[in-house]
Amino acid sequence: MTNLEKYINAFTSTFEIDDAKTKGLKYQDIEAWDSVGHMGLIAALEEAFGIMLDADDIVDLSSFEKGQEILRKYNIEM
Amino acid sequence: MNQEIVLKNLDPIEIQKYQQNRYPCFFVDCIEEAVPGKSAKGFKNFTFNEWFFPAHFADEPNVPGFIQIEMMTQVFLMTFLTIPENKGKKTGFISVDGARFKKKIVPGNRVDIQAELTSFRFGLAKGNVVGYVNGEVACQLSLTVAIPDIMTQFMPKNS
Repeated sequence: MTNLEKYINAFTSTFEIDDAKTKGLKYQDIEAWDSVGHMGLIAALEEAFGIMLDADDIVDLSSFEKGQEILRKYNIEM
Repeated sequence: MNQEIVLKNLDPIEIQKYQQNRYPCFFVDCIEEAVPGKSAKGFKNFTFNEWFFPAHFADEPNVPGFIQIEMMTQVFLMTFLTIPENKGKKTGFISVDGARFKKKIVPGNRVDIQAELTSFRFGLAKGNVVGYVNGEVACQLSLTVAIPDIMTQFMPKNS
């Protein structure tokens, strides 16, 4: 599985949405991405990539695209 | 040198100072030992008078799975609600994984529960719990539990 596939999978499995709905997705765009869903997403990303996100990055991760930008700081390229 | 704090033999009145679960959804009789930020060990005695036995089931009373999950969770809560700044806070499930129910728990059983906290960050606690009856594994699971009060401090700003 590529990093992009793992990244998309974290969103689709956490929020139970199709791949096609991930692009452009923002925090609170869908019911599932609420405060609890956000922490579920963080947990899924940390597990998928074997990382621990900093507090500032957890707050900044407000969209699908922003998350990709943040993961680059952890040397995860997509 | 830092001395590890260990809480011993907390009764239900003491336990309820740390968590907000109450009858009929309170399922811990004693926390024999809690090491804040690390582990907790406690037990629950199930008597025939439990409110759910007549319904589950009249001819074959045994502890429902959801109550076993709650029982294990309530011991797990004591691994991180015993950290002073978390005391008494409300909690919520994020996930329950790998739940196994290996033995039927029946009236008269005492379940000994051991919980380990594997991580606690940003109001999110993860860990593993095992319940034993007569020294044999009866139930087990892995948990992710949140403290919403703390977790909401880490939400994106467009909230």
